[in-house]
Amino acid sequence: MIRSIDISTSALVAQRTRLNAISGNIANMSSLTDENGEANPYRAREVVFQTDDSLTTSGASGVKVAEIKTSEADHRYRYQPNHPLAIQEGEWKGYVAYPNIDMTTQMVDAMETTRAYEANVGVMEISKNLSRETLTILA
Amino acid sequence: MKPISTIAPPPRPANPFLTNPSSKTSGAANVPTSGVDSFAKLLSNQVNNVNSMQNNADGMVHSLLTGGDVNEAEVLTAVQKADLAFRMLLQVRNKLMEAYREVQQIQI
Repeated sequence: MIRSIDISTSALVAQRTRLNAISGNIANMSSLTDENGEANPYRAREVVFQTDDSLTTSGASGVKVAEIKTSEADHRYRYQPNHPLAIQEGEWKGYVAYPNIDMTTQMVDAMETTRAYEANVGVMEISKNLSRETLTILA
Repeated sequence: MKPISTIAPPPRPANPFLTNPSSKTSGAANVPTSGVDSFAKLLSNQVNNVNSMQNNADGMVHSLLTGGDVNEAEVLTAVQKADLAFRMLLQVRNKLMEAYREVQQIQI
């Protein structure tokens, strides 16, 4: 019974990590330079989940974050010839490379993560109530 | 009529709390000899477990409230688990006290 609460908790932790990644993506929607100040737009982070075999009980297993991948999707280019970071030559002359983050997608992902989090809290509530009810057998 | 001192008590049932029942016959020194002892040990182990769960939960709440790098879901789960374990122990205690009162009220 307590094991199922642990499994729900692992899901909460995983979904929280995903929500953190989404916060970072939205916060960095206009970050044109990397941490060294080079003109290298931020790339979206995608959290990958994986079943956690260390948390198993009668067929059910927990979940953990396998890795946080950096999206390889193309940058979004905007024509801003007077921008200090505008590309100076080649096919994209006069364009500025912006991070490959789509606000709409990120917001929908955030909503999905929130719903998943709520669902796991709901399951946890059920497990908790079941444990309490079971104790009344002895009372 | 046989004198009462010669009547042997019936053999004790196998101790259900021993992990290895065969060790009873070997007479190992670390095995409690009476059922009361082993039950007391089981109970005090359980109390210690619940206590350490409560301490663990307290420590996690402390680090959450003082801005530590802990996940709130894990902290609240630890608190909830400690609460459930304590309730379980409380029910066992209530049952024991009930049985004790029952025995105490036997008219002699």
